[in-house]
Amino acid sequence: MTNHSSPDWKAFLLRFETLLIAVLLAEIFIFSQTAENFTTTGNALEIIRLSVELGLLALVMTPIILTGGIDLSVGSLLGLCAISFGKLWRDAGLPPWLAALCTLLIGAAAGGLNAALITRLKLPPLIVTLGSFSLFRGLAEAITRGVDNFTGFPASFLFLGQGYLFGVIPAQLPILVLAAIGIWLLIHRTTFGRSFRAIGFSPDGTRYAGIPVDRRVALVYILSGVFSALAALIYVARVGQAKADAGTGYELLAITAVVLGGTSIFGGIGTVHGTLLGLAVLAVLRNGLTLSDMPSELAGILTGVLLLSVLAGEALTKALSRLRKPAGAKSVAPTSQPKPQT
Amino acid sequence: MKRYFREWSVFVAFLAILLLLAFRAPDFFKPAQLLSMLCDAVPVLIAACGMTLVIICRQIDISIGSQFALCSVFAGLAASNGWPMPLVGIVAVLCGAIMGAFNGALVAFLGIPSIVVTLATMVTWREALRWWREGEFVSNLPDTFQWFGLGQQAGQFTIIAIAVLLFLFLAFALKHISAGRFVYAVGSDKEAARLAGIHPQKVTFAVFVLMGALTGLAALLNAVRFPDVDPKAGQGLELKAIAAAVVGGVAISGGRGYLWGVAAGVLLLSSIAPALVFLHLQPQWEKALQGLIILLAVAADGWRSVRKKL
Repeated sequence: MTNHSSPDWKAFLLRFETLLIAVLLAEIFIFSQTAENFTTTGNALEIIRLSVELGLLALVMTPIILTGGIDLSVGSLLGLCAISFGKLWRDAGLPPWLAALCTLLIGAAAGGLNAALITRLKLPPLIVTLGSFSLFRGLAEAITRGVDNFTGFPASFLFLGQGYLFGVIPAQLPILVLAAIGIWLLIHRTTFGRSFRAIGFSPDGTRYAGIPVDRRVALVYILSGVFSALAALIYVARVGQAKADAGTGYELLAITAVVLGGTSIFGGIGTVHGTLLGLAVLAVLRNGLTLSDMPSELAGILTGVLLLSVLAGEALTKALSRLRKPAGAKSVAPTSQPKPQT
Repeated sequence: MKRYFREWSVFVAFLAILLLLAFRAPDFFKPAQLLSMLCDAVPVLIAACGMTLVIICRQIDISIGSQFALCSVFAGLAASNGWPMPLVGIVAVLCGAIMGAFNGALVAFLGIPSIVVTLATMVTWREALRWWREGEFVSNLPDTFQWFGLGQQAGQFTIIAIAVLLFLFLAFALKHISAGRFVYAVGSDKEAARLAGIHPQKVTFAVFVLMGALTGLAALLNAVRFPDVDPKAGQGLELKAIAAAVVGGVAISGGRGYLWGVAAGVLLLSSIAPALVFLHLQPQWEKALQGLIILLAVAADGWRSVRKKL
């Protein structure tokens, strides 16, 4: 396939991100009218503080979706890691730093399980992570028997989620910034990260180009496990307790942020800054509605409507541009299961 | 036998659980207990049948849990307003079909990936319902609502009979009616199906509408078991249905699957919870075991196909 459409895509993405910025500005404008304390530095930092865990998950979901995969298990893994951390600290008596390290290893191992099933046995990521979604949450529930929760963590650990550097900057903010810069550099500035898009467009073609596809794909799922564990630690430190239901529904929010940010669910197309914008749109919406005393359910409804209208708009523009092109130049859209040339 | 190895092994696993229960906890086989277990499985079975069609068509629908809740509430409201029972049933099914049509239109005609569409509608319906009803149960239902006014035992038999008849019809239709074969054709190869004169978009749309209608029916058959209608009903139903379909041998990549395998999957997965209780194990292990069974089932698939290629 000759890639004449590449500048088109760039222009389109540019427009797409402008659209997101417009939505974000509209949100900020509306909420600055309806909510009293919305436009303060403190609130801006608070929005970020509350969305660090989700941000980590959305950031790591971006390369996964770029490769044409998906990870439904991140929310459940967050719960399992939160419980593991509590268990290791309280019942095994490990110091918090060692327990945190072990939790990160558990996250990596859990991601490794997904990775092994997906790359070794060639199973669809949707089904594998659906199974581990159930398995991880189930293990968290089984370990706590559905009732146990862990509290009373030392202040030095809670600082990670509740403390402020220099009195203003939330302690977890640097972690998110570092993660965002790291993932952005990986995807947009290295050939290593570029291979994720190639895999998303055509795994077979990428393999023929000499890129170890399985190893790259395995890496993103293991990375996803580590990030989920990191998010779990921050979550526990922020909330001050670890329960089996920690992070319920986070996988869907993370996917929503990524897709809203312009990443194609079929893989190959997408940007990290788009994901961050999508995340900001979601987080500002939630915060603004709460501050304006509006029902919290509206956030969910508006998120769904926003997601659908953005995608429907994209689909309609694509259909229109296809109509304008001559029939012979019909471009082949990448599908979720790209086949060898037919 | 070899061709259906996958489906048979699920049946064998289910029989193994029954055998274990027969030795360790014969109480499990009391008729009342069995009836209530089967009634628990009915909504999942009906939803899983619809989900099977959706997956064979190479789509997915994760909004059915929310559709289920909305249909339950609409049916309950209709009944409490004194509408006759057949009309209540139509309300539930129609309400599901409309929501299914919404998903179907976006997926089939606009070409938006089904997982994203149904992710969005799942959140939207669920939150809209919470906003509207604020978690309030629908009560003041007429006597004709619970168990269709037949009393518990006859009601249970009716529910199971409806489910079995529907299942047999769908299994027959999927195998022997051309509309059923269209679903396989579109799921196997959309372009080939189009060249063969099938309209892939219409088939996809119809499958989503059917999924919604079946969800509505499942919601009705679930709601009539209780004195009030729970607006939180059906949470996680989408995952149970997908799990049952996948365990029952439906290929997520479309084009392959048999409803009787799915029925085995439903029976296997819905026997875990009661089995744990009767074997005096912790019921909290249910979700973990469910996940493990899904992973084992697909891993077995993957292992066999990888080995075959070598």
